[in-house]
Amino acid sequence: MNPMTSQEIELKVRELLSERSGVALDKIGAETRLAEDLGVDSFGSVELMFEIEEAFGLEIPDGDIMHVRSVKDITAYLEAWSSRKSLPRAQA
Amino acid sequence: MNRRRVVVTGLGVAACNGVGVEQFWRANVEGRSGIAAIDAFDVTDLAAKIGGQVRDFTPAQYMPEDVAKRVDRFVHFGLACTEMALKESGLALQAEDPDRIAVIMGSGLGGQMFHEEQMVSAFDRGAHRINPASVARISPNAVASQIGIRYGLRGPNLVISTACASGAHAIGEATRKIQHGDAEVCITGGVEAPLTQFNFGAYCSLRVLSRNNDNPMGASRPFELGRDGFVMSEGGAVLVLEEREHALRRGAAILAEITGYASNSGAHHMVMPESGGADAARVMAASLRDAGLGRVDYINAHATSTRANDVAETKAIKAVFGEAAHRIPISSTKSMIGHSIGAAGAIEAVVCVKALQEQLVPPTINLDEPDPACDLDYVPHESRPVRMEHVMSNSFGFGNCNVALIFSRAT
Repeated sequence: MNPMTSQEIELKVRELLSERSGVALDKIGAETRLAEDLGVDSFGSVELMFEIEEAFGLEIPDGDIMHVRSVKDITAYLEAWSSRKSLPRAQA
Repeated sequence: MNRRRVVVTGLGVAACNGVGVEQFWRANVEGRSGIAAIDAFDVTDLAAKIGGQVRDFTPAQYMPEDVAKRVDRFVHFGLACTEMALKESGLALQAEDPDRIAVIMGSGLGGQMFHEEQMVSAFDRGAHRINPASVARISPNAVASQIGIRYGLRGPNLVISTACASGAHAIGEATRKIQHGDAEVCITGGVEAPLTQFNFGAYCSLRVLSRNNDNPMGASRPFELGRDGFVMSEGGAVLVLEEREHALRRGAAILAEITGYASNSGAHHMVMPESGGADAARVMAASLRDAGLGRVDYINAHATSTRANDVAETKAIKAVFGEAAHRIPISSTKSMIGHSIGAAGAIEAVVCVKALQEQLVPPTINLDEPDPACDLDYVPHESRPVRMEHVMSNSFGFGNCNVALIFSRAT
């Protein structure tokens, strides 16, 4: 299995956020903030982490959620994970 | 002191034979069944294979898409029916005091659909893979909460779960809330989405479901000799109730008045009614006392099409009304739409309100050869024009939870 590229990871994250928030995909970029720009509250962030786990096939420890504020935080986290372990391609 | 009067100013309904009040009412008047082979889940290894699925229903027509995606099917019915009922009521929510608007709904099962999906996931993949939305989606009170959140209604907000009486109980308690001055307006009704593998299978194991799989539209046969159980269905209904002066002040069209309510328990058995119908008789008599009436002009019976219910209910009606019982038209909505558990009492309340407005009693279909133990006037096959001032609706739930409601013509 090929690991996902950074671009693929970011696109998938943006798609999940777009789906969740109803904000158009092209309005969500690396700098977009979860709480301030997309209205993701603490319950929403728990759901979002679950969706990311399901989409990427990993498990995110509780403590790690605390540091995630923006799209680029999520993609950086997933890239770090990916470099430690080859990520399988997310299922469409 | 005179009691505050409670009127109905809006209706919404989603049933297997019609979504929306006009479509649903027309189907009932024409005696059209909504029962068909179940395709919502796999029924291969079950003895019963038929039910009342609500088709041609797109939740996002009645609520924002992101809300529709995040709630279970029973809440879809609640939000959709509320939207329809509020529209008909003409209530301008922004002009109302939100603290004085209550939401009281009935649901026997809550979010059974999502629950089952997540249970399967938990067993297959481990409990750590349970969706974090589970708590919020499965809770039975999600339906009232989501209605409150969607419309900003901040009065009392609760869900009543009394199996097949849930919807009727909710309407009765909503009536009391307004009578007692706890609210001016109440969104009330019942919803159910029981057509799921586990739930349907559980009722199938109980051997209470009709196995007349070859004749779905003829399977629900209340009071009929050949009946072999009830047909399970899904759906919902919502009524907007208002304190009468409140409705008059804003110039609302009053559809009907709720004049009587009583509830009790048979204290007898979890799934069997008292065979003599004594508990059902007591609750009907109590609702008449509550309304200050001696008789009614029509009874929308609980009439599930089980051997036990239909005979007990017939005995109860005779015990309450004596000789006059033979002259009161009685009919069964469930003959056309099956039994929608916690939604049934609310859907039947819609039928009662429409019957009063149109002065027309919908029929009991499939009543070809009445059970000799059921010898009252069940308005077989064809709807009938009847002069009606007061009508009664019975709902008897598993666990012996009984409710009788009385609706009266708007005055």
